[in-house]
Amino acid sequence: MSEVKIRNLHKSYGSVDVLKDNNLIVENGAFVVLVGPSGCGKSTLLRCIAGLEPISSGTITIGGKTVNDLPPAQREIAMVFQSYALYPHMDVYGNMAFGLKFAKTPRPEIDARVAEAARILQLEPLLKRRPRELSGGQRQRVAIGRAIVRKPQVFLFDEPLSNLDAALRINTRVEIAKLHKMLAATIVYVTHDQVEAMTLADKIVVMNKGRIEQTGKPLDLYYKPANLFVAGFIGSPAMNFLAATVKDGKTLELADSQHLNVPLPAASKPGDQVTLGCRPEHMRLGGDGTLALKGTVDIIERLGETGFAHIRMATGQTIIAEVRGDPGTSPGASATLSLAPAQLHLFDASGQRLG
Amino acid sequence: MSSPHSAIVGMGRATYLRLLVFFLAPAAIVYTVFSIYPLLATIFNSLYLYHSETKSYDYVGLGNFTTLLTDTTWSVPFWNAFRNNLVFFAIHMSVQNPIGLALAAMLSLPRLRLRATYRTLIFMPTMLSVVIIGFVWQLILSPLWGIAKLFLQTFGLGFLFAPWLGQEGSALITISLISVWQFVGIPMILIYTALLAIPEELIDAATVDGLNQFQAFVWVKLPLILPTIGLVSILTFVNNFNAFDLIYAMKGALAGPNFSADIMGTLFYRTFFGNQLQLGNASMGSTIATMMFIIILIGVMTYLFVIQRRMQRYSF
Repeated sequence: MSEVKIRNLHKSYGSVDVLKDNNLIVENGAFVVLVGPSGCGKSTLLRCIAGLEPISSGTITIGGKTVNDLPPAQREIAMVFQSYALYPHMDVYGNMAFGLKFAKTPRPEIDARVAEAARILQLEPLLKRRPRELSGGQRQRVAIGRAIVRKPQVFLFDEPLSNLDAALRINTRVEIAKLHKMLAATIVYVTHDQVEAMTLADKIVVMNKGRIEQTGKPLDLYYKPANLFVAGFIGSPAMNFLAATVKDGKTLELADSQHLNVPLPAASKPGDQVTLGCRPEHMRLGGDGTLALKGTVDIIERLGETGFAHIRMATGQTIIAEVRGDPGTSPGASATLSLAPAQLHLFDASGQRLG
Repeated sequence: MSSPHSAIVGMGRATYLRLLVFFLAPAAIVYTVFSIYPLLATIFNSLYLYHSETKSYDYVGLGNFTTLLTDTTWSVPFWNAFRNNLVFFAIHMSVQNPIGLALAAMLSLPRLRLRATYRTLIFMPTMLSVVIIGFVWQLILSPLWGIAKLFLQTFGLGFLFAPWLGQEGSALITISLISVWQFVGIPMILIYTALLAIPEELIDAATVDGLNQFQAFVWVKLPLILPTIGLVSILTFVNNFNAFDLIYAMKGALAGPNFSADIMGTLFYRTFFGNQLQLGNASMGSTIATMMFIIILIGVMTYLFVIQRRMQRYSF
């Protein structure tokens, strides 16, 4: 069982807390993606699991063994770095075999493992090449190969796709997903790209300012974000937020005095400050329903199949709504936005989800 | 001419050539006047024999070189200076450069404090005048009033003291070590810069592969800085075979005792300009200078064509 358990992990540099009380379980064989804005501590958390950063308090267990005081090489992990970190003075074979040689693995065993990894990653014709004779995608595969030959309990990926161009990134993303299935590997993967997170993960961990904001399946995070941060972070363009006050059991008053009839949780009292969230893809221009907002069209971004209309409210706030086909309006015209009642999100004054 | 450089859009050929001259001329003129001309004149000079009575020159071909290498009046001092110069170089290679490498490795330790202070202090002697260095060390090592003896006695090591600069067996080694002390900052700074260029992630990768800091240095960092170490070695070689000032400052042109610290530079100086009872001899001086040039040329060529070709520079 190569399960990773993180309990009450705390990490600080001097008086600066970079990781605060993190708890996380990575199940055996799971693909867990740590995602968050830059500086949120996701890479630091990964480096703590790897043993490249000492932790201030808490415990990390890998496969049932507490590894707090073990050096990286004894934690049975393998890491793929953002810059690949291939040894420039060794050929592809040397790069993959280096760690095994240091672990005093017998030579036939090393050869067998490297050959196996090279076969999986289609690196066989490249074994004698130096890293600088390889393309970005090939280097990436060598870096993954170097991880595979270690036969680790857990693979750690630190933003492995961010140095690749857009087309190759999509290819490699698919390759990594296939590799995960094939090796039945436990993977912890760091990225700031939510598309990577949504497509690869069994479980996404959204981090912000050193804390884990929410952990869950990709679509759970999309449909039921636990708080304002996750709601705003998952989804592109970001969810629209409208400040509102509870009027009575089923009516909200927006900042520009418009009223909306929204199903409210039973606990909400008149006068409560709440935030109403609605994703651009759950709004449409025009319509008549009771759930409608009025504003002025600012600009329309056309992406082809879809587009985004920027609607300015009376308060000056801009709302982004997805439009399909011809929006039938132009900048400067007044517009009505219809909201899908089932796709609304409500957050209380402290930013936590209601209902 | 179909060179791509001549194809600057919209520029005529004449304008292009004028531009070429304009940019190349300053460096070419300075280089010609202060390097190429003196070098050629020296080589030319070494092919002639000067008669001081008639103040005339006779062409003797390689005669001066035959004299220098076979006539014991010349060959004994020449081979003595050459041997001493090799010792001088060997001490720099085996003491200065390894220490420079070790200091650079220590400076690049992640948890080192006062990094800038160490760097400045170690590099400081390099910027001081050789005359001052020579004078200060002569005072320190003086058996009469130097502090070296007292310093050793403080630790009960007084018996180790000897007038190192005044003994034939130790004068050259002592001066070499003083030179090492002065210039150790140069290999240190060059290697330190090369070490800084190695990305941290590479060392992280080595750590995950099971190497400790020292092993990562030997197996990952060292191979990557070999080109810099090669450069440091060739700089040391050229500087050592051109050395003159420190020995002249500490021991004078005679490089005593009994020529035990005599190197090519001091031998050339005595021969060309004369010293005490020895008359200056421009022909033999030029011959020695040409020999120095040939020795350095052989060394540099060997490096360029044999060693550097096998080395690879890495970009990260």
